[in-house]
Amino acid sequence: MSCKLVRRHLGAFVDGEIDPATQIEFERHLEACPGCQEHLAFESSLRQQTRDSIGGIHAPEHLWGRAIHRLDEIDEAKAEHTSLIQVRPMRWRQSWPIAAAASAILIIGGVVGLPQSTDHQSAGMLQDVMNFHSQPLPSDVRAEGPQDVVRYFQGKTPFPVKPAHFEEPSMKFVGARYINVGARPAAALYYNHGGRRVTLLVFQSPEIMRHARRTHVGGRELYYHNVGGNVVTIRQHGGVNYAFFGDLDRPALFQLAATARVAY
Amino acid sequence: MSRKPKKIAAERQLFEVEARPHLDALYSMALRLTRSPVDAEDLVQDTLVRAYRFYDRFEAGTNFKAWLLRIQMNSFVNRYRRATRERQVFEGPMAVPVGEGVMSRASMRGLTDPVGDAQRRLIAREINRAFEELSDEARAMVLLADVEELSYKEIADVVGCPIGTVMSRLHRARKQLQGSLQQHAMQLGIIEEGDDDVEDPIPLEAFRSRKEMKS
Repeated sequence: MSCKLVRRHLGAFVDGEIDPATQIEFERHLEACPGCQEHLAFESSLRQQTRDSIGGIHAPEHLWGRAIHRLDEIDEAKAEHTSLIQVRPMRWRQSWPIAAAASAILIIGGVVGLPQSTDHQSAGMLQDVMNFHSQPLPSDVRAEGPQDVVRYFQGKTPFPVKPAHFEEPSMKFVGARYINVGARPAAALYYNHGGRRVTLLVFQSPEIMRHARRTHVGGRELYYHNVGGNVVTIRQHGGVNYAFFGDLDRPALFQLAATARVAY
Repeated sequence: MSRKPKKIAAERQLFEVEARPHLDALYSMALRLTRSPVDAEDLVQDTLVRAYRFYDRFEAGTNFKAWLLRIQMNSFVNRYRRATRERQVFEGPMAVPVGEGVMSRASMRGLTDPVGDAQRRLIAREINRAFEELSDEARAMVLLADVEELSYKEIADVVGCPIGTVMSRLHRARKQLQGSLQQHAMQLGIIEEGDDDVEDPIPLEAFRSRKEMKS
């Protein structure tokens, strides 16, 4: 074994990452070679000094408390989903579809109260949808490009997620994050429409269509729920559901829902 | 808000017990990567939130610290890559060329056994400075291996590359650190440049035995 070889892999030797057979050869060489011994002493000493010099940083005292506080949000969201499941466990399970019909929901204005004409499953889901809009969680992935968003959701949601395209030039994609809607994996996509927030939720839930009303906007079929004086608009597509909601008036939001390209 | 079910409370407690011991490591890494205490705190918070959200995906029996660091590394890359890309471009070609004989023998001796606390402190400062000059990638390597003492396999998991790549990146990072350290130390007079680095003198006995074999 040459000095050059030994010195080249001295770092790995000190790290204990050399396979046992080679390690024996290393040790044999080092025993007989003062030059390499010196290199070894240096490597080990510098390792120790590096650890002492750049390690040993302590987190500020308040950091743990601050970070842990944010976990409460997640706990609360989890607790809500759990309680929903506990209320109607069988129906949740029954309603797990293999090929889900897709739908898009549009909630207009500041939403208050529960939907009245829908069943409990849809109600829970719509409640989630509303909560995610009225108390938005921060984006996990920024609006750098559709590919970043697609990649971010890979492995997180059982369906591919792409930011929707809008004809309105003032609709700007802001960011996205992974969330749960009624314990199901979902994507929240955040948009800005001339200063007003619009949120698009993507998830699988055919039951949300069950009591929806139907209308037509610009030749396109739309479904909607009346929710506490506001309107939830639903559009159907194959495979995946898209839920839009935003602080816009009814015609503007209907228009958005009707013209959004969600599957492309 | 509905009451918290017991299961969630138990999971939360377990997470806190597991994660708390690694807060310093997370913060230290975050601070070294972002170079800003404010950004570092944000990054650690994001990391813990993500880790908690995906806690069920953690494989029991594997290194929890490495898992947390991987989440943090991903967050860092996602959030700060754009801002740091330019710096890396400049750092790449400017980095000290890496060779086997970066460190002269005299330098090695001077740095292996620092004399006295004052010199030790001086060298510590120079190590810090040399470390700060490294690219994000190289800093991460040195931190994970030398400070956090993760195995190559764990480092590979954290940064998402093969073990062989860890070895070569780590080697390069350390050589860069040493080269830059040597320059600083020499400028400060901590070490003197020697000229005995040209060739290793063959130990006398080895020389003799070689001669004997020839004759």
